[in-house]
Order: sequence, then C-alpha cells, then structure tokens
Amino acid sequence: MANLGLALAILGAVLAAFMAGIGSAKGVGIAGEAAAGVISEDPSKFSKVLILQLLPGTQGLYGLLTAVFVLSQIGVLGGKPLNLTVWQGLMYLAACMPIAFVGLLSAISQGKTAAAGIGIIAKKPEQSGKAITFAAMVETYAILALLISILTVVNLK
Amino acid sequence: MAKLTMKRIQIAALMENRKEILEYLQRKGAVEFSDEEDDSLAKINTSEMISQFEKYINTAVQAKGILEEYAPPKKSLLSSLNDRRELTENEYSKYFSQRDEILRYCYNLVEYHKAIADRRAEIVKANTQADMLRVWLNLDIPMAFEGTKLTRCFVGTLPVQYSKEALLGKISELNPELKELDIEIVAASKEQTCIAAVCHKESANDALAALREIGFAQASEPIKLEPKARLLQIENEIAGYKKDIEESINNIKSYSDKADKIEFLIDYLTMRRDKYCALNKIGLTKRTFILKGYIPEKYVCGIVSELEKKFDIAISVTDPEEDDDVPVLLENNNFASPVESITEMYALPAKGDVDPSPIMAFFYYFFFGLMLSDAGYGLVMVIFSAILLKKFRLKDSMKKTLRMFLYCGISTVFWGAMFGSWFGDIVSVINVQFLHGTTVNLALWFDPIKDPMKLLLWSFAFGIVHLFVGLGVKFVTLWKDGHKADAIFDVIPSYLLILGAAPLAAGILIPVPAILGSIGKYMALAGVLLVILTSSRSSKNIFARLGGGLYGLYNMASGYLGDVLSYSRLLALGLATGSIAGVINLMGSMVGNAVLKGIVLTVVFLVGHPLNIAINLLGAYVHTNRLQFVEFFSKFYEGGGRAFDPLRVNTKYIQFKEEIQNG
Repeated sequence: MANLGLALAILGAVLAAFMAGIGSAKGVGIAGEAAAGVISEDPSKFSKVLILQLLPGTQGLYGLLTAVFVLSQIGVLGGKPLNLTVWQGLMYLAACMPIAFVGLLSAISQGKTAAAGIGIIAKKPEQSGKAITFAAMVETYAILALLISILTVVNLK
Repeated sequence: MAKLTMKRIQIAALMENRKEILEYLQRKGAVEFSDEEDDSLAKINTSEMISQFEKYINTAVQAKGILEEYAPPKKSLLSSLNDRRELTENEYSKYFSQRDEILRYCYNLVEYHKAIADRRAEIVKANTQADMLRVWLNLDIPMAFEGTKLTRCFVGTLPVQYSKEALLGKISELNPELKELDIEIVAASKEQTCIAAVCHKESANDALAALREIGFAQASEPIKLEPKARLLQIENEIAGYKKDIEESINNIKSYSDKADKIEFLIDYLTMRRDKYCALNKIGLTKRTFILKGYIPEKYVCGIVSELEKKFDIAISVTDPEEDDDVPVLLENNNFASPVESITEMYALPAKGDVDPSPIMAFFYYFFFGLMLSDAGYGLVMVIFSAILLKKFRLKDSMKKTLRMFLYCGISTVFWGAMFGSWFGDIVSVINVQFLHGTTVNLALWFDPIKDPMKLLLWSFAFGIVHLFVGLGVKFVTLWKDGHKADAIFDVIPSYLLILGAAPLAAGILIPVPAILGSIGKYMALAGVLLVILTSSRSSKNIFARLGGGLYGLYNMASGYLGDVLSYSRLLALGLATGSIAGVINLMGSMVGNAVLKGIVLTVVFLVGHPLNIAINLLGAYVHTNRLQFVEFFSKFYEGGGRAFDPLRVNTKYIQFKEEIQNG
C-alpha cells in the first residue's frame, strides 16, 4: 500500500476543510436567523448585524487554509503527489485535527454569541462594538488551533 | 487635541432677547444646555408646543415617505453619500414664507394616501362579494325574492350536493303531505347546492321546516337585484375604486416637485422643536432669564465677545466642579480623527481618561494592513476611497470613514509589498502560465506563506510593543494625577517581566543569543519579585501581602501570556488573505488551452478577488478592533463618558448658512 500515507494526508486536509466549514455554515446560519429577525423590525441596522453574522465564517476559511497548506505540501496541488509513508500520512492527519475540531465547535459557539450580540444591536445599536468584541473572543481559540495546525504542517516538510 | 476642555457657562440676559440669543446659540451649536435646578426661578412649559411640532414633523416625514413610494426621486446609489444641500438666502426666505402651504401639502399627501388605502380595502370587500355571487349567476330572480300573491319562494344553500330528483325525493320522504313544491337547482358542487324553492303560500312553513331539516340556509344577504345585474354593479364599483386610486396616485405624483420643500419643512420644524426643548431648560425671573450649560473652551472667546456686543448680557465662564457630569467632545487631526468612531464604538473617555484615538490611530492602520497584507487589495482600497473623497461632497462622518480606509489601504499596500503579495501570486501565475517563466519572489522582506514561524514571532513582537505603549499611557496618566508610586509599581514590573520572558520564550522556537537569554532570566526574575512584593501593597499584613502578591503574579502572567498570544491573529489573518488569493489564481489557471486559460483566469480573477477582499476586509476590521478593545484599552482605558450634545441646527437634508435667521 504505497499510497496509504498520501490518502491519510489528504483525509486530514479534507477533514480540516469540511469540519471547519460545517461549523462556519452552522454558526453563520444561527447568527443569520437572529439577524433576519432584527431586520424585519428595523432594516437600517443591516450593516451592523451583517458584520456579526459573518464573524463565525472565518473558521471555514481557516480550515480551507490548512487544507491548502497540506495539499500543496504533499504535492497534490502541484500535480505531483509525493510518496508518503503511512507514518508521514498519519502525522499530516494529526496536524489537521486541531483546526478541524476547534473550527467545528468554535464556529457554532461563535454563532450563538453573535446571535446574542445581534440581540444587543436590536435594543442598543450604539453598543455594537461590544457585541463584536464578545463574538471575537470566541474566535481566539480557533486562531490558536489554526496556528498549531499550520505550524505543524509547515514543519513536517 | 484629543479631548476638548469643557467650561461651564452661565448667561443672564433680558427676557426680550431670549429668542434671539437662543437662535444665535443654536446656529453656533457650541453650548449644551443643563437643566435649571433652582426652584426660585420660574420655568416655561413648552411641552405643548413641542408635541405640536412633533405632530407636524411626523406628518411631514410621513408625506415624504409617501412621495418616495409613489414618485421615487431619481437618485444614483452614490449620491446618498453626498452631504446636505446648501440653501441660498433667497430660497430660504421663499420656503420660509410658504411653510404653512407646505404643511398643507403634507396633509393632502397623507389624505390621498389614506384614500388609497381605504379604496383598496373596499376593493377586497367587493371582490369577496362578487365571488359569492358568481355561483348564483343562473338564478334569474333577485335573491331576496319572497314570492307572489299565492306563492312563497326561498333562495339559499344546502350543505351537500343534490340533483333535483334526489332532493324532491328526500323532501317527500320527510314530509309526504307536502305538495306543490318546486325546486330549481341553481348550482351544485361537492361543498354546497344552491337552490330556489317555490311552493304554495299555505304550505310554506312546512316546506321551510323540511328544507331546514336537511340543512337549508337562506341566503344571508338578500339582494334586491338579480345576481347578474348585481355582479355588474359590483364590477362597476370596483372599477370606480380603481379609478379613484389612480386619481389619488396621480395627485400624489403631482406633488413630486414639492419634495425639496417638504425636506425643508422637516428640517425647519426639527430646528424649532429643538429650540423649544432648550427653552424648557432655562430659568426665568420677571424680566430676565438664566441659562446654564457646557461649552468647549475653544469656542468661549468668540461666542462671549459676540454675545456681549449684541445684547445686554452677563456671562460667566467657570471650570466645571469635581462632581459635574461633564460631556465629552473629541477633536483630532486628520490622521487620528478617522479612528474616533472606533473609540466611540467602545465608549467615550470618562473623566480620568485620555482620548486614546491619537495613540491608537497608528497601531490601527499598522495592524489592519498587516492582517489584510495584500498590496493589490490595498491599492483597490486606496483608489476607491481617494476617488470618493475627491468626487463627492461628503458628510463628515462618511469622510472620516473613507479616510480611515485610505490610511488602512496605504498600510495594506506597504505590508503587501513587504510580503510580496499582489492579488496573491498573480505575477508568478502569469509568468509561469503564459510567459513560460519561473515563479518570482516580489517580497521586499519575506514571504510569510513560506516562513510562517518568522511572522508569528514578529506578530508577538508587534503585540508586545502595542501592549507596552498601552502600559506607558497608564504610567503617564497615573504619574500626572500624582499617583507616582502606583505608576511605578503597576507598570514597571510588567515591563521587566515581559521583556525578560520574551527571549526565553522565543528561545523555544528559534535560536536566541545566550547573552539575551541570561539577561532575560534576571529581568524576568526581578519582575516576578517586584510583582510579588508590590501587587497587593495596600494590605498591612505581611502574609496577606505575600499571598496577594502570588495571586497577582499568577493573574499577570496568565493575562499577559493570553494577550501576547492573541496577536497571533495578525499572522493567521494575513495568511488567510494570501493563500485564498493564491487558491483563486490557481483555480483560474487550471484549464489547458492558453487562450481559454486567459479568459477563465480573467473571469475568476474579477469574481474571486472582490469576494476575498470583502471577506478579509471584514476580518481585518473586526480583529483590529478587538486587538484595540481587548488587549490595548484594557491596559489603561476606562470609558463611559457622555457625548457632548449641544443645541444646534440638527438638519437632515438642508444645510442652513450661518447668516440665515433660523426662525
């Protein structure tokens, strides 16, 4: 099984993209429902709630980012896949786990925080800065996970 | 710069000049009125006038909405960026003399609008009536027809479907005595059967009883006309309503050239309402009035001298008292004023705070650029905001926002050039795909995608500088307020601890010169000792002090560790922009044929990059804000000030020139 290693590495990249992606889709969806509620009352708050709605979207980007790093490093993006051993493949798979799981769960939590923040905007639009800050707090952990994933992948070369 | 110094102003003047003085102050927009709390002074109650104005304003606003609905003005999207229209003196006096007439226009518009709504409701009602009638069209007598001299007639419905024979059979079954009954089925469906029954007058009651037994219901709204004629009548009514609506709409449209005047009226009334609200706050004696408020120091001279020249007036300007609720007004130069809105978003500075905008401005632009970090995207921002700033007469707030984007854009170009990212790696892609060259490295410094570790460490370094500046501000504020010991013991140990720990931590990731490491060790140690000894210096008990010190150390170390790590988002967001841009370029160059590839790449480029700009602009904005709010402000900034809200000409559509009298 000469290519099992490669398959494992690709599995890692794919998991990073799709788990973080699911998380973001869910988070943006949760916030979007709340945003739609506010807009039905007061359409002028659109730009403010839009920012909050989009916040949980970044985890999906981080997943994509990790996937791109892995795919380009194992040569899949360049069209010349490397011959990886199973151990090497497993290492790539492991490296992708932080952003895959933290991305999935943090995006959903961030979606809920953003939805609550949208509630703030409905009542006190001038406090939107604070609402954004609350939601941005959640993102920190996705960023930390992304860093570990990326730094591991880069150093596996 | 920064927070304007506020003074208390007290004006005493003659009653007869009251309106003139208020109008003058409103035009200047420099004084915030405080409520007069002295009970020995009389007050004017203007609430009735105010509610009257509110009513007029509501009508005018409603009228404007109606005009916009039926005769939308031709406006381009960008023209909404424009500032309020300026009014010449001539126009002003013309509009001013017409104000009652304009208000009448507004009432007319509201009236027409109401007529339209009424007619629409009528149409709905008529339509339901018509629908009910349609099943009866085959009936050639009026539904209210009761019979002739010797007969009785019932028109109505049965709840199930019957044929004539079945129905007659059913009735003779129920009442075999019943004769001389004829029934005509007008219409039959599964839900109901519409019938007209005729019988001899004498057996009318029996017939009705039998019919009722099987669920007969007489037509509820007996109509004196035959259904056909009645339907025609209803249709005519509907046509009439439609014509009325048309007419009302045309009437509304005929007012479309009055939109300017209505806007004037809204602004004019708002101004008057504000003036009356201010009147509420002044105190009166028999012949004089007293007005108190806050005024920024820089306006004092001009206003005082002008007032004294014009009126018999006594003005005193004093410093605010310790416990006064002094309002806050920020003023900064062109470089720092764009981020005032960011400060306001967090909270205006409280009494003891400095205005953080000037210090924050540099870091704001710096971090924003570092997170977006693509020179191409930066150029797009710069060009867009520069064009808008140049071409349009913008509102002040819009001007500030655009200037913020301009500076952020410049910083983005700078960082993009440092990292060699121009619309991602588009130069390399074109070179490789179309010119058969090799990839080119445009980075003036280094490419973070190839060496993320390096940028991570630099991000931490930038973060430490940011935190240190925040601590520095705290030091200066405390020192100036006379809390010199607090300044030293709260700030210096943090400096020592972080500066000492930084080379030690960096040593884990990259080789650090040994000398730095050992200096760091001693600095960190000194910092630790200082924190333990001083962080709970207020308590007397030596053990409580030590315990408090250890707890303080734990708090500080974990707090700063989190703070510094948080700056890793500079790297993460920078990488996200660059690599997604790279993916876009890659997608565009996947086709084989060179011509096709050119077309696909152009399309993907034109769709993909704007999308990437939008997503990453948002990310950079949010996370730059967060770094300022959470990491930076927490070091020195309280917030919670109240915004300065002077009596002023607060108009939405029209800019009144200084010289014009404001009614």
